[in-house]
Amino acid sequence: MSAYLVTLVILVSVAALVGLALNLQWGLAGLVNFGVSGFVALGAYGVAITAPHIGWLPAMIFSALLCAAISMALALLSIRLEENYLAIVTIGFGEIVRILLLNEGWLTGGALGIADIPRPFAAITPPGGGDGVILAFAIALVALVFVLLELLVRSPFGRVLRAVRDDATVASALGKPVLALRVRAFAVGGAVMGLAGALHAFYLTYIDPSQFTPIITAYAFMAVIAGGRGSNLGLLLGAGSIMALLEATRFLKDLVPSIDGAQLSALRLGMIGIGIVLLLILRPQGLVAEPRRRATEFFPNAKGEG
Amino acid sequence: MAQLFLNGLVTGLLLALPALALTLVFGILKFANFAVGALLTFGAYAGFVANVQFGWPLPLAAAFAALCVALASIIADALVFERLRERGSITLLVASMGVSLVVENICRFFFGNAARSFDVTLARPIRWQGVRINHEQIVTASVVIVALILVHLLLTASPLGRAMRAVADNPSLAAVRGVERRTVARIAWALTGALLGIAGVLAGLDRAIDPLMGWNYQIPIFAAAILGGLGSPLGAVAGALMIGLAEEMSALILPTNYRQVVSFCVILLLLLFRTNGLFGAKAVRK
Repeated sequence: MSAYLVTLVILVSVAALVGLALNLQWGLAGLVNFGVSGFVALGAYGVAITAPHIGWLPAMIFSALLCAAISMALALLSIRLEENYLAIVTIGFGEIVRILLLNEGWLTGGALGIADIPRPFAAITPPGGGDGVILAFAIALVALVFVLLELLVRSPFGRVLRAVRDDATVASALGKPVLALRVRAFAVGGAVMGLAGALHAFYLTYIDPSQFTPIITAYAFMAVIAGGRGSNLGLLLGAGSIMALLEATRFLKDLVPSIDGAQLSALRLGMIGIGIVLLLILRPQGLVAEPRRRATEFFPNAKGEG
Repeated sequence: MAQLFLNGLVTGLLLALPALALTLVFGILKFANFAVGALLTFGAYAGFVANVQFGWPLPLAAAFAALCVALASIIADALVFERLRERGSITLLVASMGVSLVVENICRFFFGNAARSFDVTLARPIRWQGVRINHEQIVTASVVIVALILVHLLLTASPLGRAMRAVADNPSLAAVRGVERRTVARIAWALTGALLGIAGVLAGLDRAIDPLMGWNYQIPIFAAAILGGLGSPLGAVAGALMIGLAEEMSALILPTNYRQVVSFCVILLLLLFRTNGLFGAKAVRK
């Protein structure tokens, strides 16, 4: 049971990291990324390939930088156009990553994947204590990313991103470099997705392309919509409750024995789809609405009129 | 070489219907419908039910599939897209992704992940000057060409087509002249649904029917529509032919696993050099 609990916490941590990243890109900056699974896969393979040679910390940094650089390139290509183009470019990117991972066997092991990925602190871990260490590592990583992103959201950078999202024309009329801001937001998001992939690889110590399907993307969107676009705290709530709900559907099999594995996964994914649509229609602000600050907070002496 | 050219043309014709469906909805509602792939899958399964489970002949099954997907599209519009129409295209994009998940998994729930195929007798391919032509290829080519001519006539020579083009050009002006966007949008959804249903059956003839079949067409479909300039029906058809040719001809220099990469590269090149597509009207630069 405790092993199961560890799995659950790690699953939620990975989902939370991916969600936080998407929340920055889509929630805060208004940039759609349908290629989330591709970035997570890239991050995971980045550490899987480099960690045995350069150690876990440099490998994680490498993965994050790699994902940031690729996000930047994709963003530069398509961000100056309408949202539709960024969406299709990122969806294409996700598929291309999957195809490359499957077919470039010399680097990625093809469909067999990569095994024996070294975990962080493996050398100083007491035997049998592996789960505790990775658990602490996951929680620390999520906490660190959460705090950094919260600082970012509250910084002038976060404010101007919201302004760009709400009205790019007004922001650029005020002299804000809209394109550069968007590219930076997209790159930071990509880096965090890379970290999520790294955590995934460290926990499982074995990765293959079938672990990185577009389902990851769907979960991330669901988490952001459920938690409330732009609110990091809401996102943690959203990601946690969704993963818990999804895990709970496992027990559906005991209740309805006639259901088979494929049907169960179809049911889960269909529910996610329905959830996304219903929340968009009924509660677009999510569980926790984006924190809005009034102008009077910035100018306490001014006589605000509401 | 000639064989690849012929295969490319047929693949392109097959892509033409979904690309047209994508571009029609984009023209009128200004959002890229990411559910095209899933609706195509749905069409294939509807055709499968009619053909294999009801024992209907394939043409009748295709008509049934067209009707089913048209209905599904109208329902999706009424339940989802219409309610979100004023929320901007990003929300609609994400919602269409949600719809896509629902439709795909309805198919998976009832039919499982196993590949299915239609109940058709295999005919010996025709040989002509060293080129092999499959029976399915002839069916696909003729059905698509007839469908394209019909859609073209509908768009250019009927009051309905005029209304659709008017709404695509300028919805407020069209509304002032008494052309209601809502009705036109519904008809456009029905039309695209019918196109996707037929395309699904044809794709099922070409390859096996499985829940991910439409998803695998998604990138080529978008590449075709962007190549033709999103919103331009003729452009979508031309773009589809070019993408089909490019994918098949790429077999000369690339392993066949990388066919999808070709479409993706076409999209990237277009975004770099010709953002409004080859035949697109105005650029959508922000």
